[in-house]
Amino acid sequence: MRTYRYLVIGGGIAGTTAAESIRQADPDGSIAIVSEEPHRLYSRVMLSKPGFFLGQIPFERIWLRKEAWYAEKKIDFIGGRTAVRLDPKEDKVLLDDGSTLGFEKLLVATGTCARKWGVPGAQKSGVHYLRTLDDVKGVMQAVKSAKHAVVIGGGFISFEMCEMFRLAGLDVTVILREKYFWEPLLDEESGRIVEKAFEAHSVKVVRSAEVAEVLGDKDVAGVLLKDGSQIPCDIILAGIGIFCASDWVQQGGVEISRGVLANEFLETNRPGIWAAGDAAEYFDIILGERTMTATWLNAQMQGKVAGLNMAGKKQPFRLVSAMSAQAFGIDVSFVGDAMPRPGRGTVLRGEPEKGSHARLVLKEEGIVGAVLVNRGSEAGAVAKVIEKNVDVSARLAELADSGFDLTSLLKP
Amino acid sequence: MSEGEKKIKKISVDRNLCISAGPCVFAADSVFVLDAERKAVLKQKGGKADSGPVEKEALEDSAVSDDVLIAAAQSCPVRAILLYDEDGAQINA
Repeated sequence: MRTYRYLVIGGGIAGTTAAESIRQADPDGSIAIVSEEPHRLYSRVMLSKPGFFLGQIPFERIWLRKEAWYAEKKIDFIGGRTAVRLDPKEDKVLLDDGSTLGFEKLLVATGTCARKWGVPGAQKSGVHYLRTLDDVKGVMQAVKSAKHAVVIGGGFISFEMCEMFRLAGLDVTVILREKYFWEPLLDEESGRIVEKAFEAHSVKVVRSAEVAEVLGDKDVAGVLLKDGSQIPCDIILAGIGIFCASDWVQQGGVEISRGVLANEFLETNRPGIWAAGDAAEYFDIILGERTMTATWLNAQMQGKVAGLNMAGKKQPFRLVSAMSAQAFGIDVSFVGDAMPRPGRGTVLRGEPEKGSHARLVLKEEGIVGAVLVNRGSEAGAVAKVIEKNVDVSARLAELADSGFDLTSLLKP
Repeated sequence: MSEGEKKIKKISVDRNLCISAGPCVFAADSVFVLDAERKAVLKQKGGKADSGPVEKEALEDSAVSDDVLIAAAQSCPVRAILLYDEDGAQINA
């Protein structure tokens, strides 16, 4: 059995950045990255962007490291292998090919998986998900001949893929279980602005609806909704959420909940094991609670901190994450943790008639997150207000005033 | 950068590609900042900030190392940071 000083399970940006940080701190310790996918590090973020998806930029731009990078850094890349079991007593991981790898320090950076659609007929050819490079290659091939797309779900994947399909010349219908797009992460006013932009670009939005069955023989021919109506289509993209596949670590004594539980140093409950990236349910010292964050920046920064800590440091992870997505001429920016969870307050601000709206989410006396539709210029100020834990409890009226400059909250 | 490799002469940010992910700011906050539209721009002498192309000497932090600039370019998930050497050729980050 091969034993590594540092074993990283997950070959995405969190795992790769961790391995890189470890190598910078420890020039000699053996490092391996085990990746479920056969590919070297690529930009998952770029997969659903028009330049790449529509073939406007060379395919090779997707790669973020040269093939030779791993050997140059003395990192063993074990691709196309899945970790299936963490031993509860010994420091070793069983892979799906029956091999076992020993470790002194382990990082769980396996990201999340696309939730599989469970309706009858969802296994037909023509139903796609979007997580990996190989998933996207399949969709890129299918759109060459497809004419009518149905997108299931009202979240990130749907937001970007509706635009990709329209740009590729398909007509698009999006089917939401919810009352409006991106409920509940967006408030209704903001969700309606998004829907308006979709409809202005001929995307049909079907709300409060569910598919009962996928129609067709081998190939998708349409969907039957629970209300009895049918929508013909020849391609379906299901973007219905994610889950963290972490049974394999739980069997090894690592505590999990929605994700792999970790403290502010990204350590799990089991000594010598860390978690980073989308898979980590970590204690956020700014929020003062456990959370999961699924952004590129968070994954990269957590990879860095976890790597440094595996190599002997003890640095807490502290970051207000932010990201934005654009489609159909609108910009949606997310800062911090914008979910309106129980016990949190919210403040709305914006000029919805001008297509600009935001919801700030408050916990106790501070802001913890925000979603801004066409108000991305405020995202920087919001991030700072969150990071500095500014007490806004006496300033709610100002927060609700769309003309109020949020940067003034930062002045002493 | 190791000896024999070309030095960085110019930098630019492709605004159309930038998705405001922000790792460049973390990697090199003396060089990159997100502007009012949340696009990455280059901080230059005299207080100017735009997407470039900008000569390295014209950066506010003209002494920033090539390694830091390469790390910033590598951190971008959409490869929107472009680095050019003395011959005008693009350096593969």
